Formats: sequence, structure tokens, C-alpha cells
Amino acid sequence: MSAKGASLKGLLLMALLVSHMLLTKEGVTSLPICPKGSVNCQLSLEELFDRAVKLSHYIHFLSSEIFNEFEERYAQGRGFIAKAVNSCHTASLTTPEDKEQAQQIHHEDLLNLILGVLRSWNDPLIHLASEVQRIKEAPETILSKAVEIEEQNKRLLEGMEKIVGRVHSGEVENDIHTSWDGLPSLQLADEDSRLFAFYNLLHCLRRDSHKIDNYLKVLKCRLIHDNNC
Amino acid sequence: DILQWPQISKCRSPEMETFSCFWTAGNFYNLTVPRILQLLYKKSNEEDWKECPDYITSGQNSCYFNASYTSVWTPYCVQLASKNEVYDKKCFSVDEIVLPDPPVHLNWTLLNTSQTGIHGDIQVRWDPPPTADVRKGWITLEYELQYKEVNETKWKELKPRLSTMVPLYSLKTARDYEIRIRSRQRTSEKFGEFSEILYVSFSQIGIGCDHCTEEVEFPWFLVVVFGVCGLAVTVISIMLSKQPRLKMLIFPPVPVPKIKGIDPDLLKKGKLDEVNSILACHDSYKAQLYCDDLWVEFIELDIEDPEEKNRASDTDRLLSEDHLKSDSCLGTKDDDSGRASCCEPDIPETDFSASDTCDATSDSDQFKKATEKEEDLLCLERQDNDESLPNLASTDPQHQHRNIQSENSNVWAPFDGSIESPHLSVHTQISNQNSLTSTDFYAQVSDITPAGRVVLSPGQKSKLGRAQREGCTEQNFTMDNTYFCEADVKKCIAVTSHEENEPCVQEQGYNEDGYFTTESLTTTVANLGASTAAPPSSEMPVADYTSIHIVQSPQGLVLNATALPVPEKEFNVSCGYVSTDQLNKIMP
Repeated sequence: MSAKGASLKGLLLMALLVSHMLLTKEGVTSLPICPKGSVNCQLSLEELFDRAVKLSHYIHFLSSEIFNEFEERYAQGRGFIAKAVNSCHTASLTTPEDKEQAQQIHHEDLLNLILGVLRSWNDPLIHLASEVQRIKEAPETILSKAVEIEEQNKRLLEGMEKIVGRVHSGEVENDIHTSWDGLPSLQLADEDSRLFAFYNLLHCLRRDSHKIDNYLKVLKCRLIHDNNC
Repeated sequence: DILQWPQISKCRSPEMETFSCFWTAGNFYNLTVPRILQLLYKKSNEEDWKECPDYITSGQNSCYFNASYTSVWTPYCVQLASKNEVYDKKCFSVDEIVLPDPPVHLNWTLLNTSQTGIHGDIQVRWDPPPTADVRKGWITLEYELQYKEVNETKWKELKPRLSTMVPLYSLKTARDYEIRIRSRQRTSEKFGEFSEILYVSFSQIGIGCDHCTEEVEFPWFLVVVFGVCGLAVTVISIMLSKQPRLKMLIFPPVPVPKIKGIDPDLLKKGKLDEVNSILACHDSYKAQLYCDDLWVEFIELDIEDPEEKNRASDTDRLLSEDHLKSDSCLGTKDDDSGRASCCEPDIPETDFSASDTCDATSDSDQFKKATEKEEDLLCLERQDNDESLPNLASTDPQHQHRNIQSENSNVWAPFDGSIESPHLSVHTQISNQNSLTSTDFYAQVSDITPAGRVVLSPGQKSKLGRAQREGCTEQNFTMDNTYFCEADVKKCIAVTSHEENEPCVQEQGYNEDGYFTTESLTTTVANLGASTAAPPSSEMPVADYTSIHIVQSPQGLVLNATALPVPEKEFNVSCGYVSTDQLNKIMP
């Protein structure tokens, strides 16, 4: 029952957090909304990109915060940092690693890559939201953020699919994403190992959300503003 | 000196395309053979440590990694080592160490000035750091501006913002300002270095207000002084104002204990008449307040009075204890009239208490304080009570007892019950002295005087004056006897029978309740004795009202006067004494 109570509290807190976030940060709510199901409603590509960038920025912001909180709460003195020469499950996706590569890659490919990364994170985020609750005395903020990230990630995925539908001229490429097999590590009995698994996952989440945020900004400047943001 | 090892102080990327690492050499370098420090690095997916590609570009004790060596989201590890030893190691990824360069090209323009020319608004503009590729969106920066007056020490900060221009409002044109800006990557926490300081001077533009240097400071002192004065004036004026409502609003009166309808000043001043009249209206009030006090007072008074002591036997006293309470009600002090009803407020009909009240108040010398007012009150009370008439009637037998020199006669037994007689005798002994007033069972109230006195109908009642009393006392009725012969009563009555009717409550020092009349006495006597040698016609024995009152069982019964003729014969037999059996026979 405590878990349920905690989840209720978490939901409430999340609702408050979301409303706070949306109001204080660059609110996604300020953008015009296209009602669901309306056929004629056509958001411009610029608006789609604006929303996507705002969402990706928000997700990265949450990821940074949840990582910082987790590190502060659980990682001190455990030497996690030293072990963080890690490989994220999305490492197999060859994404641009510097500015030249990002500028040279074709925007459709880049969009596909973004989609791939987002899809790869669908599953881990769901499990993160559920497993983080089992951490002993997990703070409410971490719980709420985990839930929020998972939700926003879904929204960004939908938005990206819309953008890809608009931008893509040719066939839709195959769905490129990597599967995640880290769930057992999140459920290890040994607390240290389990916390380290969380630490890695959150670290990877922060990195990948930063990547996506950057790629989208580059794409936006390239496609919408013609490299003149 | 403390030995300090070489250590990597920081690694930093200004634009997320290159990065540099800096270290400190430590102080052992001078002490021993100079060693050459190397910085080795390794990407996470590599095995070997590589040496720093550029030791020069970033300055001394630094290593510069250009764009070709930089992979943004790839974890790096660098270590500071000499040939044999590793002194320090750090692992990071480039996106985590981004610290932008400071903005450049700061300038300001005047927006407008205030009417007085003392204040002005300016707009500050700048350019992002040249190294950061903001245009292509590779990096997103936000800026924080700080400003202060030239001679101040503390900087004022503005919130970080994305735009590269910011207005500053309400700057004093007489003063010069300094402005500086720093930037950071949008999702980071750490800021880069501050830009160069921008100096703002209004006098350069020519709008400086030299003679405005005297600032109009807020006149706190004057405000406080005038505020206090104004407040004091307001308060005083409110207090002195005649407007009660305003006064009540601002200074609500503190509620003091108060009894509805009773003015505390009145009580203090001690005008008994008014007080008594007021108190008469508060039956419950009396009931609650005075019972116990009366009890105590009564006891005290009782002891003090030698006559009482003489009269009352121990038995009587004991017996009277039961009624002392009610009597104590009677033992009213001047201002406590109506206590009688207080003590037994729940017994409306059986006015044992009521009668006692009347008795007590009207009573003995002990209660000399009992004034006309008391009588007035009692009468008034009676008037106010619904039971007044019945009370009167019911009290009659008892009163009659008392009337007769505080001795109970056998004559009265049928009315009150023989058992009751001792009670009554006691009552009368205690309560009455030399009082011969008697009343009918009932007396019709014909009028109420403005003063509050009750005027009883003449045919029914005659108030005994002192003469009556004296007349009766002359008879030398034995006070100790519970009973006395009807002959004696007759005499008493005869003497008094000629008395004219008097108002119920009258004379000063008249302790008897006004409702006692010789007539009632006469009536009963006449009935009992079947003798028509009753008092003159003016005092026809039959009262306007008769009733049967059933007093509480131990106290016997009160019979209707008209019903009395039946037992006359029997009563004739004994001298003023009727036993309970006889009484029972009498009763239908």
C-alpha cells in the first residue's frame, strides 16, 4: 500500500511539477495547439520544430536534474564516477559526434537517427519509472521526474514522427532502434550493483537527451532558419 | 612548505568543439630533478593512452584538443603523468565541461529619461562569444547581466536570458554605472567568465544632471512624526467624539458582567425601593442567588434573636430545619424580597414556600429591614405569578397560624392538617412575632398602585394594623402552645374584626404579609365552631374565593372553608384541636 500511496503522491507531485515547469520554463503550452483528430489542422513545420525543440530541451533538463539528484543522494562515496566509462545501449547507433559530422549528415538520416534513439528509450524509461520506486527511500522528486520524462518522451516521439512524415520525401526507412536489456540489472538484489545500474542508466539518459536536443536544434536552424538562428 | 603534487585543475570546452585541460605542476618540481609532465588521454573505446597533441595553444601547463580530437558525447579519461608515475586522472565527456567564452561587443543606448531628468532607462546590447556557434544551433547560450554603481561594491544581477539585449530601468543619471555579462550553456549550471566591464555615464551623452546630485531621499523621519501625530489626533478625536457608533466601532466596549434590566449603579446606591422592584422581576435570579445566602443569614439571625431561642424548642428547630430553607428565603434582607419563591420555584401550587415567603418577609423583628417594599414585592410577585391568587389562598392557613401570635391553633388544623401544625407553629414562632395579621385564603386584588402596592378588594380583606396585633397580644396567647382555643381566637378576631380593610402592603415596620386578615381567621373559626358569633358583617367570613389546596402530604390538607360546616360539631368537641382522623373524616 505504501507503493500505491507513493505513486499517488508521485502523480500529484508530478502534476504540480509539470504545471510549474510548464509555467516557469519555456512553456510548451504557449504554442498553438492542433486539436487531435482534426483533419484540416496543419501546423507548419516551423511550429512542429519549435515544439520538438522545447520538448527535447525540457526532457534534457529533467534528465540532468534527476541525474544530479541521484548522484547526490546515492552515488557519493560509492565511486560510481570512476566506473562511468560506460557504454549506453544506444551506442550501436552511429550518431554524429561533433559539429562537422552533424552538419554533414543528411537531415533525413539525422531525423531517423533521432527517432531511433527516442524509440530505444521508450522501454528503458517505462522500467525506470517503475523500478526507481523500489529504491529504498527514493525521494519524491526523483520518482516524479522519472514518470515525467517517460511521458514527455512519448510526446516527443509522436512529434518527431509527424515531422518525419512531413520532411521525408521517399520511403520511410526501417525502424532503427536498439533494444534494451538492462532490466535485470535494475532488479539486482545487491543494492550497490542495483544503484550502479541506475546511475549508468541515468547517465546515459542525460547524454542521449542532450544529443537529441542538440540535433534538433541543428536541424531547426538548418531547415527553418537556413543556418542563421 | 607543503608538498603539492601535480594535479589536473580543470578541463574545459568553450564551444563543444574543442577542449583543453589545465594542470598545476606542484612545488616538488623545484626540489628534485625536473621532471617532465605528460598528459595522456584515452577515449572510452580505446585501449592505449595517447599523449596530448598540443601543449602550447592553451598556454603553459595545458593541453589543447582541437576539433579533430574531440568527440562530444564520448567519455574521455586524461591523466597527468611523468615517466614513471601517474599523478592525477580525470574522466569526463565533453558535453559536461562546456564553459562558454564571455560575450563581446557590449554597448548601451539611452531609451528615455524621467521628467525630472534624475532617472533614465538604457538598453544594453552584446554579441555572443565568437567561438560559440550559436547561429547553426550547435550550442545554445543564456546570459546573465550584472550592474552596479561605480562606487558600490555589490553587483545587482538580472535573471539569465537567451536574448542578447536587455533594458535597464531607472538608472540615476547623476551616477556612473558598470555592467558585465557572462554566459553559460543553456542546460548547464556553471557560467563562463565575465565579459569586460561596460561603463555607463550619462554625462557623456550630455544629459547628466549635475545639480541633481542631491537625492531626494524618502523623508522617513517626517513621515514617522506626522504619522504618529495624525494617529494620535485621530484616536483622541474618536474617543472624545459624541458619536457612539463610531466610538463603538473603534473602541468596542468591554463587556462587563451585567444582569439584564439591572443597573449596577442602582445596586450601589442602594435605593431599596427600586432595587426591590427590579429584583421582583427576576424570579429565577432570586432563586439562584439567594437561597443559600438566605439560609446562612437566616441561621445567623435565628441565633441572634433571643426570643426565637426561647420560643422554639429543639424539636421545633429541628423540624424547622426542613423549612428553614424556605424560610430562609423569607428571611429576606431588604433587597431580597421574593426569595421565598426562589427556594422552591418548582412547586407552584404548594405554596408552602410561597407562604413561607410571605411570612418570612412580613415577619419578625429579626427582619426589621423588611419594609413595605418587601411587602410590595411580595404582593407584586404574587401579582406577577400566575399562581398569585392560589398562592394567597394556600398560604392562608399557614399565615393564619402565624397570625395568631405565631401559635398554631387547633382551629387551623383542619386546614393544614394536624401534622402540619407543628410546622406552622414553628413557622409562626420563627417568623412572626406579635403579628396578628391574617388573610383570607384568597383576596381579590382590586388595584395596583403606581408605587407597586396591591390593593385588595375591601370585602375580603382587612389588614391587621398594629391595633390588631396588640389586641391579640393582649390576649396573652401562649406562644408556646401549638394550639389555642378557638375561644381565644374568637376574641382575637372580634377585636380585630372591626378593622377596616387596608391595603395589602402598607405600614413601615409592618412585618406581616398583608394578606393576612382577621377575617379569614374569623371565617375559619366561625365555620369550625359553627358559631355565628362572627365578626360584623363587614367581615363576612366567606371569602370570595375558596379552594381546596392539597399541600404536600406531611403537611396535611387545606380544606375549603365552605366545606367546614360539616365537621363543626366535631371541632367543637375539642378545643381547637383536630386530629388527623377527624380531618380525614372531614374530607370527602
